[in-house]
Amino acid sequence: MNIPPYLEKWMGKNLFSVVPMAIAVINPEYDLVYANKAFELLFGEWENRKCYKVYKHRDSVCRNCKGSETFKDGISRVNKEVGYNKNGRLTSYTNHTIPVVDDNGDIPFLIEMATDVTETEQIKKEHQLLFDQVPCSIFILDRNFRIVKTNKKIRNTFGDTIGMHCYKVLKGLEEKCVECTAMQTFTDGQMHTGHHLWQSGTGQPGTEEQINSHVTTVPIRMEDGDVDLVMEMAVDITQTIKLEDELKVAYTFMESMIEASLDGVIAMDANDSVMIFNHAAKKIFQVSDNKKITRKEIKSMLPEEFLAQISAGQGHVYFPETEVYSINSEKIPVRLIGLRISVEDKSMGTAITIQDLREIKQLENEKLEAERLAAVGQTVAGLAHGIKNLITGLEGGMYMLNTGMKKSRLDRIQEGMEMLDRNIVRVATFVKAFLSFSKGREIKVNLSDPVRIAKEVVMLYSQRARELGIKLINEESGSISPALMDSEGIHECLTNLVGNAIDACNMSEAGTGQHVVVRTIEKDNVIIYEVVDDGCGMDYELKQKVFTNFFTTKGLGGTGLGLLMTKKIIHEHGGKIDLESESGKGTTFRILLSRSRLPKKS
Amino acid sequence: MKILIIDDEPDIRTYLMAALEDSGYETFAVKENEPATEAIKAYQPDLIILDIMMPKQSGISIYKELRSKPQFSNIPVAIISGMLPGKGFKTEFKKLINDNTISFPEGFIEKPFQLSTLIELVGNLLK
Repeated sequence: MNIPPYLEKWMGKNLFSVVPMAIAVINPEYDLVYANKAFELLFGEWENRKCYKVYKHRDSVCRNCKGSETFKDGISRVNKEVGYNKNGRLTSYTNHTIPVVDDNGDIPFLIEMATDVTETEQIKKEHQLLFDQVPCSIFILDRNFRIVKTNKKIRNTFGDTIGMHCYKVLKGLEEKCVECTAMQTFTDGQMHTGHHLWQSGTGQPGTEEQINSHVTTVPIRMEDGDVDLVMEMAVDITQTIKLEDELKVAYTFMESMIEASLDGVIAMDANDSVMIFNHAAKKIFQVSDNKKITRKEIKSMLPEEFLAQISAGQGHVYFPETEVYSINSEKIPVRLIGLRISVEDKSMGTAITIQDLREIKQLENEKLEAERLAAVGQTVAGLAHGIKNLITGLEGGMYMLNTGMKKSRLDRIQEGMEMLDRNIVRVATFVKAFLSFSKGREIKVNLSDPVRIAKEVVMLYSQRARELGIKLINEESGSISPALMDSEGIHECLTNLVGNAIDACNMSEAGTGQHVVVRTIEKDNVIIYEVVDDGCGMDYELKQKVFTNFFTTKGLGGTGLGLLMTKKIIHEHGGKIDLESESGKGTTFRILLSRSRLPKKS
Repeated sequence: MKILIIDDEPDIRTYLMAALEDSGYETFAVKENEPATEAIKAYQPDLIILDIMMPKQSGISIYKELRSKPQFSNIPVAIISGMLPGKGFKTEFKKLINDNTISFPEGFIEKPFQLSTLIELVGNLLK
């Protein structure tokens, strides 16, 4: 092909100037004889300077000067060089050194062509750094599954493995793995992932360590598009798998605990979907084992107020005694604890435990019944004693009457008649009181004001106390809200206790001026009545007898039933009665009514 | 022969006194809260008839006191009670006394009693 003369002229004259590569001409004395625009842009001023001065800011010829070698042997060279650019900054460049040969075969000049590769070098460095320091294992494989390149992590774990088969290095195998992730990438040129168990260590027993690796293989394409190399990147998931396993164990453990729990457990997620409804809960709510419970059913089972309080996030919601409905709408007494579970203010759901109180209630009722029967039993024993005394009294009266008539002794006849009279009256009082005790009265529960009952009893006795010179005082402390109780029953109890206290003061040897204080207080949800007197008091034996026997200290005046009756009524209220007394000092009777044990409205 | 009766029931005191006097005994009665030991010292009885269940001081504590003092411990005591059953009296009494060193009373009569039984027992104890 003929090159047109204008083109040849342009190339000879202008190309040298415009080519985007730094070109300089150097003579054997290392003088820069000529340089193009690009050279000036890269290295700056060059005229009348030595090449080593311009390239490397040196004052003498470089050691290993490639130019001098080319001057000698006439062979072109390509070198990687590091010099300074015109701004004095270190610069990487590749230098092509080409000899200019004259007609005599001498080399009067060299052409040096430099390309600035500073940026490329930088990128390469960064790349290498990344490849080495990334916290995962990376290696490159060829088609024979030989390792071509490894990063630092692989080297630290497996040592120098270049040229070895990956399956030998990583798994100690003699052949390729059956499921080979790299193979898949070699075959289809796509990215693949897999899970492999690697075996690290030096092969010495005891040094082995299993590494669970999550592996990603990516193709490295050649210019022709073929995949000759595969880069394999692996993340150690041993810890993750260990944690997963531990989590699984913990979960299974918790699940079986919840399932085996004697208390019902219900858990709902943030959308109120039921996640857990354990065996005990199914038993309480009478739900068949395979039935799925819905949010709506939960709402129909649990008290509205309870769920509302949990939703409001009021910490632990505790309903010590409440009722839930089974799936068959049967009322069941339970204790409920509920909690809104949140993590960093984000609601995760709701957990509820349900304790079945049916058995406890049953036991409580049985205990109350047993106590009642015991009271009746003691009463019967006491009654027998009372009756025996009455019979003896009657027999005595008869004896006096008979012997009086036989002996014509009017005084005996008179006394006998009086004894008969007295004991017949006693029999009548006795029988009446006992009938009322044994028959009992139906307990009538109403919302009553505990303080008012005490006030009424004090009013009732005020005149009698005044007549006997006894100060009867009603004391109340704080406000006590109304409670469900049999107001007539409690009235009767207090009447008995206050009557006894007044009698005790009257029997006291200290004359008049004693006190009877009726105190109504509430403490920790327990309503307490105290009847305190500074009357005659009781000794130890008497204290033992007051509740357990059909017992009176008042001769003909008492039936011995007052305290038994009181005890019975208090028991029917789920309450307790106790006493403190010291002979000669006085007595305190105390009725304790726990609000949680009070009877439900009849 | 002198008999001391300790009982809180006035009617029973009257009855026992009349019946025993009719059988030729000399009797004296005290209420349970009158100091029995004073009466015994003053009256020097040959037999004491003692009720158990009395409101102010029980017959048990009076009995214990009598048995613990040498000047009284040889006076025979007959317990008269409606509280303790005739059968099993010893066991029940032991429980109430709760002290193995104290000897049992010499006699026991359960209320209500046949007058003849009482007279017979008293007769036996005062032989």
